[in-house]
Amino acid sequence: MILTGPEIIRQREAGCISIEPFSCEQVNPNSYNYRLGPALRTHAGPVIDALGAHPLDETAIPAEGILLRPGCVYLGTTAERIGSTHYVPSLIGRSSLGRLGVYLQVSADLGNLGAIHHWTLEIVVCQAIRVYAGMTVGQVSFWTPSGDKCPYDGHFGEFSEAVTPYPSLLTSGC
Amino acid sequence: MILTGPEIARQRDTGRITIDPFFPEQVNPNSYNFRLGPVLKVYTDEMLDVRRPNPAQELVIPETGLILKPDRIYLGSTVEVMGSDHYVPVIRARSGVARLGLFVHVTADLIDIGSVNQWTLQLHAVQPVRIYPGLLIGQVTFWTTQGDVTLYRGKYQGTRGPQESRIHEDFLAAGTAA
Repeated sequence: MILTGPEIIRQREAGCISIEPFSCEQVNPNSYNYRLGPALRTHAGPVIDALGAHPLDETAIPAEGILLRPGCVYLGTTAERIGSTHYVPSLIGRSSLGRLGVYLQVSADLGNLGAIHHWTLEIVVCQAIRVYAGMTVGQVSFWTPSGDKCPYDGHFGEFSEAVTPYPSLLTSGC
Repeated sequence: MILTGPEIARQRDTGRITIDPFFPEQVNPNSYNFRLGPVLKVYTDEMLDVRRPNPAQELVIPETGLILKPDRIYLGSTVEVMGSDHYVPVIRARSGVARLGLFVHVTADLIDIGSVNQWTLQLHAVQPVRIYPGLLIGQVTFWTTQGDVTLYRGKYQGTRGPQESRIHEDFLAAGTAA
């Protein structure tokens, strides 16, 4: 089952969902609108080696916005710290940005139960577009799980900045 | 939980799901196949800005088809008016369409409960691809909810045909529009 907006509020008040900072105005009928954090990172090299180092350049998004161009993946973060030990989060873009050709993740919408952090966003655009820090860019929904829960001990959940995988994460999984 | 195909048909019969027009042959084991409407919209500017209105022009897809190019975002719409006040819809491409490298939404698969519209599709082609009006292009699934329901009353409610982004209205409300 997916949690309704009022249920997201209720479960957050009960301590079962974390969204910080939180504003009731950002609650939708069955999701919560998250905002874009203040900086973006891009891969520094022309070819990204899955098992190599991933040098990243970081750019603070200026007040006049930043022009994103096609052919590049921009790593951003959610302005909010988001997660839950009780409900499974799924992060997507909002349709108002999808309508402008902005992907907010690259087919990796599913979060892990227990990972509570500023989520990394993988932003890809179809056409050049100017975006701004702090704007509402996407939605997180929460889903009820079935079965025993195991504690989250994953790699990315430790980070609240945009990071890439180290090699063994893509080979042995740890 | 996700509704099975027979349950989608049953809930539609009882009026708890809207799919109009509806054809039983478009029901899948756990989704319903929807069609692409005849009109597309494409932004007139190559460079977009979320903080200002981005003008768009309308294209009618001829019966002979229209080629989508990879460097543009195209807005289409479903033929069907769809939605539910009781279940949350999630849309996606049919795998047959995905195999052609065509996205039907741009990471915005989740529909608000209570949003009953011809839904806008965000079409993005990885390679040039020719599309036709009425294509069976995507699937809608319906999911059960937990908690009290507040129905969608947003800016795209009741719309017909493809709707360009109105995100600049957020900036107008905040007094920071371009």
